[in-house]
Amino acid sequence: MQAKEQGFIRCHDCGALSETHHKLSHCPRCDSLLHARHPHSLQRATALLISSFLLYIPANIFPVMIVNQFGTGEPNTIAGGIVELFDSDMIPIGLLVLVASILVPSSKLIGMSVLILCAHFRWQINACRWTKIYRAIAFVGRWSMLDIFMISILVDLVNFSGIQIIAGSAATAFAAVVILTMLAAENFDPRLLWDNQQNL
Amino acid sequence: MPITDYDICPECDLLLKAALPKIGEKAHCPRCGLLLSHPRKRSIERTFALSIAGFILFFPSLLLPMVGVTIMGNVSTGVLYAGVIALFNDGMEAVAIVVFLASILFPLVNISLALLISGHLYFNRYHRYLTVWMRWMQNLNEWGMLEVYMLGIIVACVKLVALAQLNFGWGLYAFVALLIITTLLTSNLDNVLFWQRIEQLRKGRHHAG
Ligand SMILES: [Zn+2]
Ligand SMILES: [Zn+2]
Repeated sequence: MQAKEQGFIRCHDCGALSETHHKLSHCPRCDSLLHARHPHSLQRATALLISSFLLYIPANIFPVMIVNQFGTGEPNTIAGGIVELFDSDMIPIGLLVLVASILVPSSKLIGMSVLILCAHFRWQINACRWTKIYRAIAFVGRWSMLDIFMISILVDLVNFSGIQIIAGSAATAFAAVVILTMLAAENFDPRLLWDNQQNL
Repeated sequence: MPITDYDICPECDLLLKAALPKIGEKAHCPRCGLLLSHPRKRSIERTFALSIAGFILFFPSLLLPMVGVTIMGNVSTGVLYAGVIALFNDGMEAVAIVVFLASILFPLVNISLALLISGHLYFNRYHRYLTVWMRWMQNLNEWGMLEVYMLGIIVACVKLVALAQLNFGWGLYAFVALLIITTLLTSNLDNVLFWQRIEQLRKGRHHAG
């Protein structure tokens, strides 16, 4: 049984409860708009997710940064940067970047797609488990910005006549992927997973 | 039963009897396991003190040099805001803006809002924008990424250690302190209590006249 069916709405911002039959449009406590579910949750999450899928391709193909050493430029893709860390025996840091820049974004894209499909097709799933997966996706998303911050620091520090690091075009695409997937997770309403379950 | 005795889980929409955990205890949703409330000892006082400290620490960590590198006799020092400028000069405006927002503006706005709100609550002062500030602070919280930036500094240093000599400046120590303060701030800020106190202040004002 959902609170929505029992006639109650919870304010998304302050958590105050209102009764549906009062037909309030704004929260009596904090004055923000009341919605039983995030408005257009699935449409927005899907649109954001499709955009991030498309941007994920250039983010991985093009170089995120270019190391210019004595006139010759060496482009570095995201994967290339990780291989380089492994080659110079920086295994723990290499693993960290591997998790933050490759495993987290790709599992986020896949996880969000499955969540949207579950909610859209009203599949009978273990809602508790998928809510926890959703929570994990929403929690780890921000850590993918690691690569972008690292590039901003390197670009600033290594700027000499002999050696220079400049940001590549994939950095823009990758930053966009991180932000769009964070927004997709924010717009997805996990309560939709529970609304579809027949035996609660 | 009055409506205030009920609570709803924000992630699975289960209607519950409002749990009133004691200080230090946690209340979880019985159906999906979400942490519903976790009251902290002296939340308002601590938030007020931590946000003052964070606000002061913000400026040395923004302005003082964090990392210095020496490559083949050339020396350069990195400051928090300089990465944004360097990206801008390279023609990466979009990335520069993202880095600026996530590592500078949003953390600063967050600390300032926490300071404003907890200050008003500490001195029992009502302000008609308290609810707006609260909503902004809650929504911006996710977008300030100081801890991710810290990890970025570590990875950048590891990458440079092979080709450069590194030395660390006061900006970095201030940044680490700021990071610890903001982490403590988010864990001590009890949203449920803050909303209750804001409502009390508003009602008290209406009764007074
Ligand atoms: Zn509200
Ligand atoms: Zn729940």
